[in-house]
Amino acid sequence: MKRQKDDLNNHSNTVATPTDSALLQLFQIHDSAFPIGSYTQSYGMETYIQEDKIRTKDDLIEFCTSFLFNNLVRSDAILIQEAYAAALKQDVDKLLELEQLCGAMKLAKESRDASVNLGRQFIRTVSPLGTDEFLAEWKERIDANSIKGHYAVLYGIYSATTGVSMHHAVMMYLYASLSGLVQNAVRAVPFGQNTGVQAINELIHPVKEAADLVSTLTIENISNNALGIELASMRHEYLFSRLFIS
Amino acid sequence: MVKMVNPPRRHHNGKLDLEFELRRGITRMPHVFQQPPLKASRELYEGKDPTATVYIMESSGGMVAGDRNDITIKLAPDTRVRLVQQSAMKIYPSHTGETCFYKLDVDIAERARLEWMPEVIIPFVDAKFQVDTTLRVAADSTVLWGEIIAPGREKRGEIFDYESFRSNFKIFVEGDLIAFDSLHFSPRQLELGGVGVLEGAMYIGSVWLVSPNIDDVDIRAVQETLRVEEGLQASMTRLEGNAIHCRWLGRDQWALQEDMKRIYALLAKMV
Repeated sequence: MKRQKDDLNNHSNTVATPTDSALLQLFQIHDSAFPIGSYTQSYGMETYIQEDKIRTKDDLIEFCTSFLFNNLVRSDAILIQEAYAAALKQDVDKLLELEQLCGAMKLAKESRDASVNLGRQFIRTVSPLGTDEFLAEWKERIDANSIKGHYAVLYGIYSATTGVSMHHAVMMYLYASLSGLVQNAVRAVPFGQNTGVQAINELIHPVKEAADLVSTLTIENISNNALGIELASMRHEYLFSRLFIS
Repeated sequence: MVKMVNPPRRHHNGKLDLEFELRRGITRMPHVFQQPPLKASRELYEGKDPTATVYIMESSGGMVAGDRNDITIKLAPDTRVRLVQQSAMKIYPSHTGETCFYKLDVDIAERARLEWMPEVIIPFVDAKFQVDTTLRVAADSTVLWGEIIAPGREKRGEIFDYESFRSNFKIFVEGDLIAFDSLHFSPRQLELGGVGVLEGAMYIGSVWLVSPNIDDVDIRAVQETLRVEEGLQASMTRLEGNAIHCRWLGRDQWALQEDMKRIYALLAKMV
């Protein structure tokens, strides 16, 4: 697979420690200024906030931890891992299967739409940054509407092209997902900035633990036990007033 | 003295293959293969309705460690079928540590219609159970499918005392996977009552509807009729393509089941 930039050509996808450039690229795509619209998604958290179930920092951490272990770890994170591995092998059939699976397991319409919207915005933003042919081919499929373009699968493919390790790609995705939720909670509950900072700090260890757990899981472990969060995502469609899209 | 040793129990492997065809405008079930403990009734009809109603029975009373049930159901074009489980599905304790498997494969051809409203699945203390359900549906066919999962024998105080419960539910429409609902509950490893999971609920209800007439269902209007009260929450969502999903989480079985059956009947009438 052709690397994104010439100066990344000597980087290996298999090393545990990513090169500085690959790591910085990973930071860039998770920067809050990276315009893919993750700040507009709450994945059902807004329903909890409106029902007054998230009032304190501890409530927020409890929600995020449940979302992390009962949803992200066993869905998106496994898909990223599988997509990363399939992209290295340029296994298009496997990626198409993952793409369909990603949409099928997001039962709540808003969560499914969020996954596609983020994915499409992500590929539009990263495409001009590199010249990877495999990623460009995947974008053509999205542009031709032959696939939806779910974020987790795209993120896995993109990560494989940058030279960042699979472990760091997964861990950063988990961290960024929770960090985004906390920032959204800071605005919606609202909390003070310091409360948000403390909450994210307290979630660092669970994120590391979750990333380690993901590395032991395969596609057979895909599941969604977070039925309460899923129901909240479904009910979010019917909320009277909303700050977030999902 | 010779010590008597009980021979190891042989596992049940129930099989049921049901094929439905349209004969002179009436749905018949000309091909049936049944292997105990699974059995099917003959076709029954309500008045002049050509829909075939068939009862599915499990004569052993429940599944025990390592038992296996395989059911395949095929609906030929234009057939109309209603399947009813005769009693709750009981999963007994896994004294050997083996898992019970239940596999349901359903093929629904063009313009056919299937309704399946099963009884509750009850995993007893120490039970290990896996159910894999696959519905393969033609774009212009209809399927209305329900499922209720209990926490155990609640009235005996068995609440999430089972070892493991796995359900992999898939719907394919014209070969495309449009829904994958996968629950992997191991109550000894996962705090099921926690925030984001079951949140105090004990019963899980699900209804799935695939229909070419799905646009006739005003989801928001039906959503507004859903019974929401202390200990019962529910919601509906549109799936990819011509499909709807409705989920209930409830503390009380009867409140959940009553509302679920009401919505099931409402949706059946709408499409």
